[in-house]
Amino acid sequence: MSLRILNLVVIVALVLAAAYVYRIKFDSTVQAERLAKIRSELRYERDSIAALRAEWGELDNPARIEALAKRYLPLKSVAPTQFNSLDQLPDRPPQFIKPDSQDPIGVIIENLEEPSTVTGSVSAPAAAPSEDANEAAVPLPAANPDR
Amino acid sequence: MTAIAQTESLQPGEPWRRRLVRGLLYGSKIDRGAKARARVGLAILAFAAVYSIIAARLVMFAVVSDGRTVHRVVAGDAIATARPDILDRRGEVLATDVRVPSLYGEPRRLIDVDEAVELLTADLPDLDATELRERLSSKRGFVWLKRDITAEQQREIYRQGLPGIGFLSENKRAYPNGAEVSHLIGHVNTDNQGIAGMEKWLDGHGLAALHMAGLATDRLQTPVQLAVDLRVQHALRDELVAARAKFKALAAAGIVLDVRTGEVVAMVSEPDYDPNNPRQALDPTRINRLTTGVYEMGSSFKAFTIAMALDSGKVTLKSSFDARMPLRFGKFDIHDFHAQHRVLTVPEIFTYSSNIGAARAALAVGIEAHKAFLKKLGQLDRLRTELPESAEPIVPKRWGELNTITIAFGHGLSVAPLQAVMGVAALMNGGILIPPTFLKRTEAEASALGKRVIKPETSEMMRYLMRLNVEKGTAEKAEVKGYYIGGKTGTADKVVNGHYSKTKVLTDFMAVLPADQPRYVLLIMIDDPQTTPETHGFTTSGWNAVPVGGAVVARIAPLLGIEPRMDLPTADHLILASAKESR
Repeated sequence: MSLRILNLVVIVALVLAAAYVYRIKFDSTVQAERLAKIRSELRYERDSIAALRAEWGELDNPARIEALAKRYLPLKSVAPTQFNSLDQLPDRPPQFIKPDSQDPIGVIIENLEEPSTVTGSVSAPAAAPSEDANEAAVPLPAANPDR
Repeated sequence: MTAIAQTESLQPGEPWRRRLVRGLLYGSKIDRGAKARARVGLAILAFAAVYSIIAARLVMFAVVSDGRTVHRVVAGDAIATARPDILDRRGEVLATDVRVPSLYGEPRRLIDVDEAVELLTADLPDLDATELRERLSSKRGFVWLKRDITAEQQREIYRQGLPGIGFLSENKRAYPNGAEVSHLIGHVNTDNQGIAGMEKWLDGHGLAALHMAGLATDRLQTPVQLAVDLRVQHALRDELVAARAKFKALAAAGIVLDVRTGEVVAMVSEPDYDPNNPRQALDPTRINRLTTGVYEMGSSFKAFTIAMALDSGKVTLKSSFDARMPLRFGKFDIHDFHAQHRVLTVPEIFTYSSNIGAARAALAVGIEAHKAFLKKLGQLDRLRTELPESAEPIVPKRWGELNTITIAFGHGLSVAPLQAVMGVAALMNGGILIPPTFLKRTEAEASALGKRVIKPETSEMMRYLMRLNVEKGTAEKAEVKGYYIGGKTGTADKVVNGHYSKTKVLTDFMAVLPADQPRYVLLIMIDDPQTTPETHGFTTSGWNAVPVGGAVVARIAPLLGIEPRMDLPTADHLILASAKESR
């Protein structure tokens, strides 16, 4: 009797194991195929990247860039005198308007129209422009009485 | 189990004949039922054992097999093996592998040879018909028909559907920069094996073994980064090509070497070749003159002579030597090119490039010391770098007084130019001789390799002399405002038919950049320059190699990150004064 139960158990186990093994085997085949496909895609992509890099290297070659630049750009090589260091930059140009002025844009326009406009490259006494700004700032509200 | 105790008489209904057979087979007293049960039990055990062994093996496979993936070679895949990419110091591609299809035939599987020949020559016009027919008629299993065909050609041939004709994709080496870095990286043969330059070095360092094992088929190898900077290389080559055309010279060559690490940042030897077309490399005029050629460097060797004299302590910057008369040795007279006919101090010997003064300075130190000093600076032994091409210097077999005299001003000893640059770099960088390299190297690695050859004070004095020579000397035309160049010129008479030629010269210019805080050493070498209207009939270095050197510096200094500094004081204030302070 006990032998018969053992037989039954073993047969059931065998069937289950066979089914399980079949499933695993099938899954692994599918996975292996996917892997092979991805590998070949990877290889293809790597080859394309290498080909593109080679092509980029050819296009980016300094000799080619130089020839193109000489042909199409009016640029020349940089002379040593054209370099400067950051600490040799000139100071900020003097402030035109006071921070509390009511119409800063108007003041700037007013200053632009004056022929003696102070720019960054023309040094002017620092006090003069601020006085100008004061004078310019005063009449503006009058010119705009609605406010 | 009780049945065993019973006798045969327990089966009374059995006919006598069967009882006889049973008695003969098993013996008359044994119970068959019990025996069968025992056998079944044994069989169960045996099967259980077999299955448990199988189960155990399965578990073992499941656990172990992960580590060992089976390498499947895809049909139609790489024959020529893969090589790692070569990059410059900033990561630009210098050499890479691209896949190209190649055409092969299997003559045994071919049905109609004539048809195949006809169709293939129609698609590939450069294929020789008779040779193709011969190959396809052979009895071999596999013949190459054409390596490296285009994708369109492959498509066309594929569409004809010829049996026994197929394609394999192969790795082919591509050099996107063409001739620009030719001598440096070298090239490969049809089977993608390195046969020159750094490509050969790669093969010598493990790649060949990988190829043999068939492992280097995939693009998984880490790229190799070189010390060369493609931009600097291009600027140097561009100037040298222009210089070679201008002076109608046989060749022009140049090196930029980092004095602190020994890295070769640029190396050009014009005429060069396109590594994509390696057949050009066979032309003997296209050799790499910087490593495979040996030359008498001329007056730039005086830098070594003066450095030796100063380092020995027997001579100081204030010492002077008699250059009033040509130096007479046996039947030879040593003349000065820029003869002053007076007593010259050491800086004057350097700036007037006085042969007599240099010879006297060398004699003051002694023949043996001279030889030992040049040996210490690596000028007498073959210089080996990563490049497989190297040349042995030509050293006189018996080194007498005359040899010391001539070698003092750079004649009678032929060295590879790269070797001389290495020596000059050691004179400039504080006195450490660092073997040059074509691979990237850090300062720490370099200082581990370097060995001291001269005192730091001597190096300081040498930099002063080099700068002085540009401020007021033979190298005045190299001055580029802001870069504080120092340099020594050299003009060597070429040997023609065993005699020094009066007209053919080899000029060179060794420059240090910048002279007060050296970072790079530059060599410009021009082989057999001709006169031009601007040179007033001169072919000496100061009229050709030196201005080229200045032009090169103006172009490469911004690329190398050297900041121009304006209004620097002259050499005797800047370098010499700081040298005295530090002492």
